[in-house]
Amino acid sequence: MSVLVVHHVRELMKDKNVLITEETSLIGDSRVLDSLGLVELCLRLEDEATELGFEFDWASESAMSRNSSMFRTVSSLAAEFESQQQAKS
Amino acid sequence: MILVTGASRGIGLGIASRFTSLGFDVVGLARTSVAAPFPTFEVDVTDDEQVRQVALDLRRAKTFPTVVINAAGIASMNLALMTPASKARAVVGTNLLGTMFVCQAFAPLIARAGGGSIINFSTIAVALGLSGESVYAASKAGVETYTRVLARELAGMNIRANCIAPGPIDTELLRGVSDSQIDAIVKQQILPTRFTVEDICDVAEALVDKRLSSISGEVFHIGGV
Repeated sequence: MSVLVVHHVRELMKDKNVLITEETSLIGDSRVLDSLGLVELCLRLEDEATELGFEFDWASESAMSRNSSMFRTVSSLAAEFESQQQAKS
Repeated sequence: MILVTGASRGIGLGIASRFTSLGFDVVGLARTSVAAPFPTFEVDVTDDEQVRQVALDLRRAKTFPTVVINAAGIASMNLALMTPASKARAVVGTNLLGTMFVCQAFAPLIARAGGGSIINFSTIAVALGLSGESVYAASKAGVETYTRVLARELAGMNIRANCIAPGPIDTELLRGVSDSQIDAIVKQQILPTRFTVEDICDVAEALVDKRLSSISGEVFHIGGV
């Protein structure tokens, strides 16, 4: 799933020269997307989830908790996406 | 499509009916549905799960609102020190949290529609600091601040957010308020007139109009303060 997230992050980034890895931050000082970009990323993941037959919930309690936020890194977002997919199946 | 909360009565019903009569597709949200010329979902806006479920249903149906109007609200006339905790929770829950939940659930759908407008409801009691309306005014002050921040955050998605802040309007919210109390409030408006639901509808209609596409993060006081 990280590949999927990396793909969309890369498309949404304004600075295309930044290397995106699984540890790239999506929130905080070193984030690569602004708040608008992060919302657009979530909308894209909603669409991806629909294609895969589940609903991606990006406004849950866990998403909003900074310590355990799914938006910490590309890999944490991908893990949450995958977790929600598995919970559905 | 235009989505209106509090659509079973008062200002919400008036606005939903106005836009329906103008030919817009309108969907209402209300705790209890009533016979109306537009479809209504039975939703308690204080229940974020219910609100999100409607948003999900609309997204699945690829029905994206371009306008969301948060007219659901309840009032309370109590002195600050004599307001029961249950009443305070109910007022803040409906007026402030309900507005937040609806905005959070439906703004992404407006974004999917390519942009649009959110109209939230405040009150003249915020600007006037009216005695006896501490919790009500505080909840609406929260709505004003929330709307200003929301407007900033959503601007990049081509979504505008504004507040309408009416004075005393003849709806159920004024039940129990005497004519003399209402007159005393109206006298403090720049235009000391008792405005109506129709006047609110006019402002809502104007705010939805593309000619006001330069306006966001503002509070429009009916009658002026």
